[in-house]
Formats: sequence, structure tokens, C-alpha cells
Amino acid sequence: MNKVSVRQLYFFLACIAPVGKLVVMPVRLSAKAGNDLWIPTLLLYLLQAAAVFCVLLLGKRRKSLYELLCERIGSVCAKIVHLLIVCFLLFCALIPLLEQKLFVQAVFYDTLPSIVAFAPFFLFSAYLCSKPLGSEGRAFDLLAPISVVGLVGVLLLSVSNADYGAVLPLFASGAKGIFGAVAGACSWFFDPVLLLLFLGKFEYGKGTAYKGALFYLAGGAAVIFFLITFYGIFEGTAINQLFAFTKTSKYYSAITVLGRVDYLFIFALSLVMTFYTALPLHCAVESCLQAFGRKKYLPTILSVGFNLIFLIFDGLLDYHFGDVLGVVGKLFWIFPLFTLLLPPLLLPSRRSHEGA
Amino acid sequence: MKICGSLKKDVEAFKKVLPAEDILTFDFVSEKGLSFTAIFADPITDKELLGEQVIRPLLHYEGKACAQDVGEKITSPEKRTETDLTKLAEEVLAGNPVLFFEGMDEGIIVGTKKVFVRAIAEPTTDVALKGPREGFIEDIKINTSLVRRRLKSPDLRIEFLKVGRRSQTYVALCYLAGISLENVVKEARQKLKEIDIDIVPDSSYLTHFLSSRPYSLLKQIGTTEKPDIFCAKIAEGRVGILVDGSPIALTAPYLIVEDFQSSEDYFVPSYRATFTRLLRLLALIVAIYLPAFYIAGQLFKLQLFPVRLLLTIAGSIRDIPFSPSLEMLLVLFVLEVLNEASIRMPKYVGMALSVVGALVLGETAVSAGFVSTPAIIIIAFSGIGLYAVPNLLEQTSVLRLVMLLAAGSVGTYGIILATGFVLFYLVTAENFSTPVLAPFSPLIPKDLRDSLVKYDVGSLRTRPASIGSKNKRRLRHE
Amino acid sequence: MKARKLLRTIPMKLYALLLIVVLFSFFSNDFGLVDIQKTAIILAAGIDKSEEGFMLTAQIAVPKGTDRSQGGTSSVDVTTTGVTVSDCVSSIFGETGWVPKLVFCDLIVLGEEAASEDVIGYLNYFLRSEYMNDSCKLAVCEGKAEALIASKSALADVSSIAILNLFSDAAAKSGKVLAKTLKDFAVDYYGVSKSSYLPYIRMMEQRGSSQTGNGGSGSSDAGGEEGEIRPEVVYSAETTALFADGKMAAVLPPDETFAYSLLKGNVESGIFTAQDGEKPVTLSVLSNSGSIALDMKGAPKVKLKIGVIARLCCRGTTAPMEDVSNDNVPEAVLENAEELLKENTRKLWQTAKESGCDLFELKKALYRSSPKKYDEWKEFLLDKAEPEIVTDVRSSK
Repeated sequence: MNKVSVRQLYFFLACIAPVGKLVVMPVRLSAKAGNDLWIPTLLLYLLQAAAVFCVLLLGKRRKSLYELLCERIGSVCAKIVHLLIVCFLLFCALIPLLEQKLFVQAVFYDTLPSIVAFAPFFLFSAYLCSKPLGSEGRAFDLLAPISVVGLVGVLLLSVSNADYGAVLPLFASGAKGIFGAVAGACSWFFDPVLLLLFLGKFEYGKGTAYKGALFYLAGGAAVIFFLITFYGIFEGTAINQLFAFTKTSKYYSAITVLGRVDYLFIFALSLVMTFYTALPLHCAVESCLQAFGRKKYLPTILSVGFNLIFLIFDGLLDYHFGDVLGVVGKLFWIFPLFTLLLPPLLLPSRRSHEGA
Repeated sequence: MKICGSLKKDVEAFKKVLPAEDILTFDFVSEKGLSFTAIFADPITDKELLGEQVIRPLLHYEGKACAQDVGEKITSPEKRTETDLTKLAEEVLAGNPVLFFEGMDEGIIVGTKKVFVRAIAEPTTDVALKGPREGFIEDIKINTSLVRRRLKSPDLRIEFLKVGRRSQTYVALCYLAGISLENVVKEARQKLKEIDIDIVPDSSYLTHFLSSRPYSLLKQIGTTEKPDIFCAKIAEGRVGILVDGSPIALTAPYLIVEDFQSSEDYFVPSYRATFTRLLRLLALIVAIYLPAFYIAGQLFKLQLFPVRLLLTIAGSIRDIPFSPSLEMLLVLFVLEVLNEASIRMPKYVGMALSVVGALVLGETAVSAGFVSTPAIIIIAFSGIGLYAVPNLLEQTSVLRLVMLLAAGSVGTYGIILATGFVLFYLVTAENFSTPVLAPFSPLIPKDLRDSLVKYDVGSLRTRPASIGSKNKRRLRHE
Repeated sequence: MKARKLLRTIPMKLYALLLIVVLFSFFSNDFGLVDIQKTAIILAAGIDKSEEGFMLTAQIAVPKGTDRSQGGTSSVDVTTTGVTVSDCVSSIFGETGWVPKLVFCDLIVLGEEAASEDVIGYLNYFLRSEYMNDSCKLAVCEGKAEALIASKSALADVSSIAILNLFSDAAAKSGKVLAKTLKDFAVDYYGVSKSSYLPYIRMMEQRGSSQTGNGGSGSSDAGGEEGEIRPEVVYSAETTALFADGKMAAVLPPDETFAYSLLKGNVESGIFTAQDGEKPVTLSVLSNSGSIALDMKGAPKVKLKIGVIARLCCRGTTAPMEDVSNDNVPEAVLENAEELLKENTRKLWQTAKESGCDLFELKKALYRSSPKKYDEWKEFLLDKAEPEIVTDVRSSK
């Protein structure tokens, strides 16, 4: 149960990870980079794919992250790094959680609901986190086709309304806009760190690392295509379109006759997003368990504890999503620190390190 | 307690072990003066056979008091000797008479029990338009013979175990040696041996002990009433369990996808089988989710309905005194009551009841303004839809209620979260080291050929990898 | 030992607690929901300028109950005023007790007076709200939007349904109407061209038909008096309002609206009338292609090209059977048709140019191809650009 197959990881990289990037990130990108919104995304995806490559390559050693860290820096330092990773993962979870909350309030209700409407998510998340991380792999097997159906459905209903010429002229936002957007969108890119916690749970096969990076880029291509479609539909008004993936398909002509059939696809993607949102918390629990051992009630206690903290955050930060985005935006450098630096640092093996 | 060889003492001792009044003795003496006593349970022993095959030949017995000689004189094909009185008593209780005779320290057990069996008939819960119509009955011997007839392989192993401290029910563990994985057989045998219960009235009692999560909402052991399905499952590498007194056979490991398959799927063209399997899935999804989305749409998200439909619904529920969720719960409650009552009621009353339920209750409830027409239509459709997969009825009706409660409390998001819960619960569920959601999760592409889609039998060359088997090849291909 | 036993029973207790919470919320139905019974489903909204600021006329659908013998849809029209549109919307709740919901609002009509100002001020509320359907059709009407919404359609129970029929896909294919959604209008407004168009709706009274208010299954005005005579009307949207910087700047007559539809290549089943000598001949458009190309080599030139394949549909004169059975368009008629379309397109260009409306999206095209040149020309492009109009009308064989 606590093992995953590489196929399940590919599914995660290609089909599940992209879904978390279709909610608020497109708006953030269009606010910073306008019609160039796809360029920073491409840059981020290329960098992250390299990090994914490194992480999967680490899988060759068939050791968990904790074991790898212990090998390099000793158990005490490894525990400290694990604690830092836990803090990072909890920080990562903040934006997806809050954006999902706003998404739920806007998309699943006709009028603004009570703030407790989102609370059941934490119940679900706590249940998820209390199970071994490896069981997520099996969930990826189920979620991948759901995600593909959802995304293809949304895109099929959207493309006819998009003016793809809207992405012209290229580089209109200039280097400042593009790099500003890269910094602004960093907080949605933490997938390699999530993968780190799966180390030791999968069997490395021939070309796993390359394939993983390619699958991640394939997911990125889907995100970029969505972003271009999104901008092609909304152009200058894109910055007002929060919860992007719920907006693009509703202009399809048949919807006036059939009703909101696009909700089928939106709900499918929402289901996938629910799992993806809980994943950083699940990885945080796993990180603690790797560092401090799998004691009997520890997974339950940690999962309940983390989710309780976020439930309280959820209540406190109810109307402060903009502020949270601002704070996370200022601390954007933390994301590349963990996602881009940590995996390559772990790559050189002890022997080669000593040899050097 | 052992037999001593003195007929009088042995019979007295036996009477002490088995003092029941319906345990009768019949004393007779052979022409040469050898005394015999046959002890049998009156209602369950075939006395005619006893007379024909045991007493009549022994009346003319001229040999010595030797068990082998006496046994040879008995014409019944089923006979054996036993020295332990307790074991002999068990046989008498099973309907097999025991024969004692003077000077012999062994009792002869004769297999002349009276078999009360109903005729082999088509099971009402698993009807197929095409394909075999035989169904298991309550007699384990007939059931094993039905299995043997279909699997004339020397590899077919049928291990008999006794379960139930008081009932001493025979349980047959069936598997194909060389195909079923040893660990699965071992686990099943172990679990059956470890059962410590007083009686086993039906095979369903065993499912609790065979499941790794006994309190799970999810089904973990497969069930069937048809020998053809039972044999097909055994041939795929599963173990089968037959219980004396129960027409329902158990199979393990269980995969959810099994319940979407019908025996008929294998006797119709593959495209038709695929279509019907997908139809079953769709019907089930609609049956579970339709009432929930209807409620969520009315309460939280009107946009789930096209505007014209919304206005129709709004018009229908205008004068209904209950909230939409309560109304739906009420109609669902009535449906479940009707369902339950119509199953239990005698047939002639059941017919009247369904008419009363469908026409009188429904029509008058709508006219009186208690419930709305859409609510009745939706629950009626949902009620029918669940029967598309009858083997999952218990689970799916609970799921429908869960979805309804989630929708009525939190709305569409509640439905999505509940779905997430159920999905994650399913992917983490395992029994006999087999994930119940295989071959979808974990994904086993080869096994998808006989899952919700059905390939032609020529394409199903290997046994399902989801279950695992020692011999993988099913079809030898030129 | 006790602690372990307690820990073991915790899950069951939690399940029980969860069940209680779920049942409580199920039966109380209190997550801030507003169910269907307490909702005003707004089908259409008309916005006018008022002394207070804004006047909103909402057409609210009224469910008909279980008796479906009458069929159709009923509605009531509620008019409220306020200092903002949001203020007007919330007044609906105050006046009716129903919570207004705009998710089903498929039509927003701006009154003529409102359209003479920057209309984004009137549409701001709808663009901001997450609970608004921005794929709704947007239009301007002659006079007050309130009058249009409250009018009694001769063709449908509810005025908005009759108006929306004008904006159907079939109507768009005829080339007679140029429909626009709220989202598309906003995209145009916030785009580089800052220009757009909206259908301009006119009401025409049906002669000899009238009905008393509040009667029948049709719409009723909440403020209307019992027994008031309301003439039945039909609607036309063959004219199109041009917008520059959010203000209505001109109105295109039907010929120019049709020419613009042809330029967009939208027409698949429209008709237009040319001349065969002195006699009118109606041609039916079977297929249409149109393009607008900006050439910035030297002085800006705009090539407006219309291609039409047509068949003869109707002559306004008597004709022999051989002629009736012949769909081919005579050469002379084709030439005349080309001239006619050229002339209409020229007038269209002139109207757009004079109104300052970048109807042909020249600025957008220039910005996309060369932002530098756009910066250079954005102020004068419409004035300096010279049109080259090419029309090509062919007969179907």
C-alpha cells in the first residue's frame, strides 16, 4: 500500500499537478504579463521539469528522502531539513487552500455561503493525510482519466470562443512583466518537493527521470494551451476572471440550449483539485513520519493537527486572500530554494562527493 | 470416549452422549445370533435405505463379529468405521446411522442420511437471458457436484472443513491447484479455521470473518448463486467457498468490477457486453447522484438546471410544505419502505402493495401537495437505477443516502467531497492482498479487457493479473 | 489500558459526532443558502439613467405551479432606482422579499440615454459579480429600457424571450442582427480599440392588437394598473449602435449592419435586394466570406473584402416559368449587387470613421502586428486610413 509505481507518478505529473494551476494562477499571470502569460509559465515549467528530473533520478538509490539526507548530513541535520520541508509544504498549501475555498464559494453556490461551507474539506484532508502517502498513487490512477476528461472537455467547449491572435505581440509586457509574472507564479510550482516525499516508494526503471520530466512538460503544455485559450477569450478582461477554468467554457453556444453541461467537466476537475490541494499536507505528514518514525497514532495526530491549523487559518484569513497573495509574493524566493535547489544538492552520491 | 465392545454398554454410553429423544435405536439379531443395534436420528435418516442396505443384508449375516466382514455385507457405498463415541454421535446428528454389534470395538457409519433438497433451479437474484440457468441449492454435496461437473480437472481441489461449534457446518474450500496463488488459498483456509462461532446458518456469516475490514461499507467478498460463474471465478485464480445449507457461494479475492459483469456478458457479442456494462455503470452513477444533485441544485446552485427546467421545478415545489431536502428524504424513505415491504410480503399481497405504493401513495401525495412530481420521478428513477447492479444494492443505497445528506448539508461541494472520500476509501481497500478497485486502481491495462469493457473471448488470453495466478495463460494461441 | 481503550473508541465517537453535525446541517439547511423558493430569478434587466442615478427594471420569472395547461412562462417586472446598479439590485429584495439572482439573466438592455454615457458605469456591477452570467446578450434600445422590458410581446409571453429570439444563431446567420454578449463588449471596451457595437432594439406596435395588463399568462408590470391597455409589440434589432470609448456614437442602418455582417463572413442564409435594371431582385446568400486587412506600407490602407455566393431568390415582377425555375443570378444583377454592397460598405466605413469607432478593429490588428507602429499611429489611424473595398458576388451554379 505504501508503494507507488512510476506510472502513477507520471499520471500525477502530467494530469493532476496541472489542475492546481488553472484556478487563480492565470489571473495572476495575466495581471503581470498580460498576453505574454504563457512565457513565464513555460520558463517555470522548464525549470521545474529539470528539478523533477533530478528528484526522479534520486529514485535510483531506492532510499527515502530522510535516508538520503542522513547519508549526506547526518540524522540530526536531516531531521532539521525535514522540519524545514514540513514548514515549506505547509506554506505551499496556503495558496491552493485559500484559492480552493474562494473557488468553492463562487462556483458551488449562487450566493456567498457561510464560511463553514468549506470546513468539510479539512475532514476529507485529515482522512487522506492519515493514510500512507503511497495510497495517493492509486488515487492518481483514478484521478488521471478524470482530469483528462475534465480538461479536454473544458478546452473543447472553450476553443471556439478564443481569439488566439490575442497573445500577439510577443514580449509586449517586456522582461519586467515576464519576470514579475515568474516571481508571482512561483507559489504554484512546488511539485518537485512533493515528489521528494515519494522517494524510496517507487522502483526506478530505465529512463524514469527523462520520462517523468517529459510527462511534467506534457502537463505544462496543457496548462499553456489553457492559458492561451483563456487569454484568447478574455483578453484585457482576463485579470478579472478568477477561477479561470470555470469561466472559459460557458460561452459555448450549445450551453444556452442544454444548460451548464460544462459543469460536468468543471466538477471533474474540482474533484481532482480537491486531492491536489490536500497533497502538500499529506506530504508534510509523511515528511514528519520519515523523520520521527511511524508511531501508531502519529499519522492521525499529525493529520488532524495540520488540518486543524489550516481550519483556523481558513477562518482567520477569510477575506484576506489578496494579503496572503501579497505576503507569499514577497517570499516568492522560498519556492525556488526548495524546488530548484534542494533536489540537485541531493544528487551527488556520498562516494562521488568524498572522491571530489 | 471409546467403544468397549459390549453392545449393551456401548449403546448406553452412546445414549449418554446423545440423549435426545429423536435419536432412536433399532435392535436386531442375525440368523447366526449376532446382535446388532442401529442408532439413527429419526427425522434425518433415510430409514428405507437403512432397512434395504443395512438391516436386510445383516439379517442373513453368517460370519464372525468382524467389522470388515460386516461392512462387506452392507450394500451402501458410503460406510466407514469409527471408535470414538463423540465422532459417531456427530455422524448420527448429520443423519448417518451408526451400527454397533456385539463383540466389536468399532461402530460402522453408514451414509444413508435423508437428503431434503429442493430442485436445482434458476436463482431469482441472478437471472440471465442467455447462458446456463442452474443455481446452487442448500446441499453442499449437490453444490460441489455442480462444480465438479463443470471443472473435470484433477487440479480442482475441494477441501471440507467444519465451521460452527454447534452447527458443525460443512464448508468446502474450492480452488484449482496450479492456478490459485498459494498465499490466497492459505489465507482463506487459515481464516476459515480460525472462525469460532456457534452456528453458521448461511455463507453470509463467513464474509465477516473472511474480510480484512469487517465493518466496511464496502463489499469485500464476492457472492454468486450460479455454478458457471463460480467455476469461471475459480478458473481465474480465485478461491471459492461453499457452505452447507446456503445456496450463496463466496469467492475471494473480490474486485468491485465483478459486480458489473453478468454471466450473460460472456454469451453475447463483446460490443453488446461492453454496452451493457457501461450502461450499468451509468445507471448506478445516475441512481446515486441524481437525487443529490437535484437537492444541491435547488438549495445551493440553481445553475445546475437549465432555466426552463428550473421554472418547471420551481412551479412544482411551490406549495410543498417541506424543504427540498426533507421532501427528498421523505420520498426516499417511502421508497425504501415500499421496497422492503414488497420483498417480505407474500406475493399476492406484494402485488397489491406495489400498486398501492406506486399509484395511490404517489398520486395522492402529489395531489395533496405533500411532495412534488419531480421528487417522485427522481427517486423512482434512482430506485430503478440501483437495480442495474443488484449485487451492490446494499452498498449503493447507503451511498445514495450519504450523497443526499452531503448535498443537503453542503451542496455540490459536499457531493464532490463525499465522492473524494469514497474514492480514496476504495483505493485503499484490499482483501486477500488484492486491491478491490483493480484493474482501475492500481491500473492494470491488460485486465481492462474484461472490466467495464469486454473484449472478445479470443483476446482474453491471460488470467487477470489483478487477482494473480500461478498459471497466467488462459488461451493457447496459434 | 484505559487510555488505549479510549483511543480505540475515538473513531466511532467521531463518526457519531460527524453524523450529528451532518444531520443538523441537513435539516437546518443553513449554510447561508437561498433556495429556489426565496429567489427572484431575473431573466432580463433593463438599465436607464434616472434622477437618482440608475434605474433598473428586472424581469422576474414567476413559476406557474403544477397546472401546466397554460404553458409558457410568466413574469413580473420590477423597477427600482438607486445611486448604483448594485443599489438597485438590492432594492429588489427590499421591494419583493425575494433574493435577486442574476445567474439566469440572459439579456441586459441599456436605455438610449444611458448609452449616451460611458456604459461601463452601468455595466460595472455585472462585470464584477461572480454570481452574474456574463455570457448574457447586451443591447441598446430606443427610448427607455424600462419600457422595452415591460412591453407586451405579440410573439411570446415574456418580452425578454421575444427579444432574445432576435439574437439567435439563426438571426446572426441572416446578417440582419449583430449580437454581442456582455463579456465580448467588455473585451472590446478594455481592448486597444476601445470600440464596440451593440444591437439597437426598436419596438413596433402591432396594429389592432392590445391586451389588458396583468391578464393571461404573459408578463405583468408590478406597478401597472389593473385594466390598463397595453399594446402588443414586435421588436426589431436590424440597426446597430456603435460605441467609442464606451459611449454610443452612431447607429448603423440595416444596410450597413448587413454589410458589416458580410465583412465578418457571418452570413449564411441572409437575403438582400439588388436591381435588375429598374426592377428589384432579391438574392439569397448561400455562402459568404469577408476580410479586413490593414496594410501599413506607406500610408495606412485598409482592404475590405466581401465575397458572396448567391442565388436568385425573388423577382418583384412577373416572370415566365423558365425564369422561375432558374436560380442563376444574371450578370447584370451580380454587377449591381457588387456595387450595392460596395456602396453600403463605403457608408459603413464613413459612419464608423465619423463616430470614432474602430469598428474594423484596425488598432487591434496594428497592435498585434507592430506595437511600435501602433504607438505611432494610434491617434490618427482611423482618420488617415484609406479603404479599398472589394466585393465579389457570384451566382451559384
